[in-house]
Amino acid sequence: MNLCFLLLLGAVPPPVDFDTDVLPVLTKAGCNAGACHGAAAGRGGFKLSLFGGDPAADQRAIARELEGRRVNLAHPERSLLLLKPTWQLDHEGGERFTADGSEAAVLLQWIRVGARRTGDKHLIRLEVTPAQTAFDRLPANYGLSALAQFSDGTQRDVSHQATYTPADPAATEVDPRGGVKVQRPGRHSIVVRFLTETIAVQVTAAYPQPSLAADKLPRNNWIDDEINATLTALRLPLSPQADEAALLRRVTLDLSGRLPPPERILAYLADRRSPQEKFAAEVERLLASPEFTEQWTYKLAEWLRIQPGPNDREGTEAYYAWVRKQVEGRRPLNELVAELITADGDSHLLGPPNFHRSAGDARGEAEHVAETLLAVRLRCANCHNHPLDRWTQDDYHGLAAIFARLDRGREVKLKSSGEVAHPATGDAAIPRIPGAAILDPQADGRPRLAAWLTSTDNPYFARAWVNRLWDSLLGRGLVHPVDDLRDTNPASHPALLERLTQDFVAASFDLRHTLRQIALSAAYQRSAATQAGNLHDDRFYSHALPRQLSQEVLLRAVCTATGVAEHALPLSFAPPTGMVSDRPRQLPFDPLAVAVCAGQPGQARDALAQPPNDLAAQLHWLNGPVVNAKLNDRASALAELSKSNAPAQQLIETYYLRTLSRLPTASEQQFWQRELAGGDWAQKCQDFAWSLLSCREFVTNH
Amino acid sequence: MTEFPNPKSSIPNRPSRRDFVRIGGLTALGLSLSNLLVQRAAAAPTAKAKRAILIWLDGGPSHLETFDVKPDAPREVRGPLVPVATNVPGIQVSECLPLLAQRMQHASIIRSMTSPLGEHNLGTHYLMTGYPPTPALEYPAIGSVVAHLDRAERTLPRHIAVPNFGVGGRRYGGNGYLPEETRPFAVGGDPAQPGFKVRDLDYYPGLAGGWIDRRREYLQRLDEFSRSVEQAASGGTPTRGAGAPVPATFEQAYRLITSPAAKGAFDLSQESATTRGRYGPRTIGQSALLARRLVEADVPFVTINYPGWDTHDNLYTRLKEGYTGAKVPVGLVPALDLALSALLDDLADRGLLAETLVMVMGEFGRTPKLNTLGGRDHWPRVFSVLLAGGGVPGGQVIGSSDATGESPKDRPVTPADLAASIYTLLGIDPQQLLHTADGRPVHVSRDGRVVKELVG
Repeated sequence: MNLCFLLLLGAVPPPVDFDTDVLPVLTKAGCNAGACHGAAAGRGGFKLSLFGGDPAADQRAIARELEGRRVNLAHPERSLLLLKPTWQLDHEGGERFTADGSEAAVLLQWIRVGARRTGDKHLIRLEVTPAQTAFDRLPANYGLSALAQFSDGTQRDVSHQATYTPADPAATEVDPRGGVKVQRPGRHSIVVRFLTETIAVQVTAAYPQPSLAADKLPRNNWIDDEINATLTALRLPLSPQADEAALLRRVTLDLSGRLPPPERILAYLADRRSPQEKFAAEVERLLASPEFTEQWTYKLAEWLRIQPGPNDREGTEAYYAWVRKQVEGRRPLNELVAELITADGDSHLLGPPNFHRSAGDARGEAEHVAETLLAVRLRCANCHNHPLDRWTQDDYHGLAAIFARLDRGREVKLKSSGEVAHPATGDAAIPRIPGAAILDPQADGRPRLAAWLTSTDNPYFARAWVNRLWDSLLGRGLVHPVDDLRDTNPASHPALLERLTQDFVAASFDLRHTLRQIALSAAYQRSAATQAGNLHDDRFYSHALPRQLSQEVLLRAVCTATGVAEHALPLSFAPPTGMVSDRPRQLPFDPLAVAVCAGQPGQARDALAQPPNDLAAQLHWLNGPVVNAKLNDRASALAELSKSNAPAQQLIETYYLRTLSRLPTASEQQFWQRELAGGDWAQKCQDFAWSLLSCREFVTNH
Repeated sequence: MTEFPNPKSSIPNRPSRRDFVRIGGLTALGLSLSNLLVQRAAAAPTAKAKRAILIWLDGGPSHLETFDVKPDAPREVRGPLVPVATNVPGIQVSECLPLLAQRMQHASIIRSMTSPLGEHNLGTHYLMTGYPPTPALEYPAIGSVVAHLDRAERTLPRHIAVPNFGVGGRRYGGNGYLPEETRPFAVGGDPAQPGFKVRDLDYYPGLAGGWIDRRREYLQRLDEFSRSVEQAASGGTPTRGAGAPVPATFEQAYRLITSPAAKGAFDLSQESATTRGRYGPRTIGQSALLARRLVEADVPFVTINYPGWDTHDNLYTRLKEGYTGAKVPVGLVPALDLALSALLDDLADRGLLAETLVMVMGEFGRTPKLNTLGGRDHWPRVFSVLLAGGGVPGGQVIGSSDATGESPKDRPVTPADLAASIYTLLGIDPQQLLHTADGRPVHVSRDGRVVKELVG
């Protein structure tokens, strides 16, 4: 310590820059974190900006407030800025660093030379290496190195000043100097922060299993390239291609939201073309079907959060009908969205103006736009710059300002005035395209926003939507969760996401195009059956992830399997989520189906792939009306068949085709024939039908 | 702070890490330090609590209008409510809790709860599980851990939510990485409605005898068949007659439907009008009564979800008066007061309070300053929770907040500390290891220091 002081006193004072030398010390020590002085109201009367987002304010708080006690220019070593974090004075946060270490030396030196801020040097780029790395065996150790480039042309190794946060601390441990210890197989990310920049790096560690023969992995199109490379790096064995009936069921459910009809299954199985040829033809047929329009209108409505408001049925119906027309007419998604953003007019007559009524006010609409169209969580930036992303408070309130003049009554229109107050200044926020451009407050900013958002080089929009499409067909987004796109939540397969995005843009934002590409990949067509080495894989696509049918798809599947329409659903039916409307006529997308939560859990693998089911859903399925009323219905195709003179073999085959979309195996036939014989035929048939509608094979898309 | 010690000479005198433990300082971010500090809290083999009721105030209750009133703070901080004295000298609570005030001998209030998470989903996860959320793993709620570790043979579900588990924005299912049968069973409906019944417990009309056993057997067969079909597809050898287990939730449903005694536990009509009246006519009251019936039937953990505490505006109306024109025009806090005090009395009368832990909490507190809408926004840095029964010493306040209810003044308690304490009270070792589906070992509770004042 003494030596340290002497050295500092004796030498020509090296320049210490507040923004790039002092702030990193405070960030690394946690001083400006949300739980400490970085909180909106500060802590113990001392407030810093969150993670040093506002250096000017921080320097003021440190050097000017409290009459020179935080920094004592006359006696620098008596500054609270030093005494508190080194715990020479009582400090609620305890000792953040030692009094004789390099951190304290930086602070002391900064005070000695006047505790000033020039503000003329800032970080322009952070590079962390290796950005990607892989290991063959565990545990493995390696070092991360962080290089900062500053606006004055200098660069510096900041590996010791950066902070490291592993996404999964049980899988990777990182010491304060960037040394990484990898402890679990898989692909893990670590978020590295230095000043305003945050970067995620990834490490891939193989499972302790035999290597894969990389040249023998199935490849149908470019989608399979990175998937296969990743499986090879991880040594995760692949499940083989699913059998034909399973694949037909899967793709029919995915693209049309329905089970394949029995005659379609039989025709498909009898088709003599090569498996890939007839599958591709089936994909085309489904993409062109009216059922595709129904299903994907519903999905778009879900993503756009179209919900029947309590008193706004006309608007919701107009909105939904409009979306359907766009899907039917193959409207490019960017055009569809641009029309929503710029829409004005009578929301009961026109669909698009309802977009602006999805949120109650301008800030709500900013969040709505960010979340539904960009899959970005902008909310954090309401109160402070987003700690894990690029969004600032200016972005949040600037985006809100674009919508500030909107009248969200039945007639959506631009008012002559309206503003959003920026909480930091209290003044009206300046309309702003997040991270991109400042707009003229006098003009309607929506056309420019729409143009930016849906342009072919917007980095967020297309990526968000292809990730949703991928998630819909594969059961897990490349970025997971799908509503949280940010640099610090990297994709499991970054190159694939990039390629899908470019391909979607090149195909004029055509949903059908991207869905086709995904469906034709080998990754999509794998069996759901697991192999010894890939049982627990839930993110690398080594086998198909069984997905629980969404509630409306499940309900429709029960209806088509039994041949009984949904009118049997009692109106008093109160779902656990309380979202169901009990209006007599349901909108086509009413969350009515939310009511029907099927339950068929059991296997550990399902628990990984699916939101788990619960007992209430199971009780309802077993003992409630949704299934039972249909089985009891005179019109039930299943009941009808049991009352006919059809031979048992035919009945069993038909039941299987209508529910599991496949033919029974010989041993299944044999079992059921024996079981159904010998009295109580009708009741046994009904229980057989119930079991078919309840088993795991039925309630999942697998 | 008038003295400025010389840095050099002060070094030997600065507090040691041991002192740090003693004064119980807060290290929200000092992870390496806190690892050293985690005290291995061996579960008391003599734990008094056998079961628990969690009253979850969903949305984040204002500490300043419930358990931590600040009558001396400026008007914009102290808000519209005044304190009342309780039957324990020196302890005051909100004027809206007069009945609880007469029962403080049963309760401990922690006024120095602190968390960094001021968003509903995140805060809910932290308070409900004792773990701050991470993208890598969803943790189980305390009630689901209790259900998971419970070894007793039971017909009723081990973790029941009344009326539902729609907590923290409904994204959180409760069981985390534990199997789905530990997920709370939501009874559904509104216990305050006349004719309230738990759905689907009575036999569906027209279903004849023997059907349920047959369905059970058939279901088992089909799952077994589809597995062998899958195995054949992937080149494996189909196994026969391996006896596929029926899904655990089916088994639970089966047992519930076939047991009249179990169904009876949900039947509020078996309670007298007087008893029902004591709990109050609101959903929270009748939910508390149902929870009492369930713990009486030895259900280990009941979560009562009481929504509506996200009071960004009209605090006074929402918390005290209730909306005019509402069926029962009374605010959230008086309704809680009635339900909670009836529950404590009822449990005590039946000799159940000593072994039933009652907890009242939400995901965070509310901002010290009233906002322009007459409400308070999210505030996790300091808030209060209440615990009673189950061996918790009553009549005490643990920790305190500062003059404006902005920060903990002393004895900060994190949600991890609280979870470790609750587990200890329930006889579960916080250090015990659980396992995720893919075999990863996880402690029941981590980084938590047991709050000594709670465990007696």
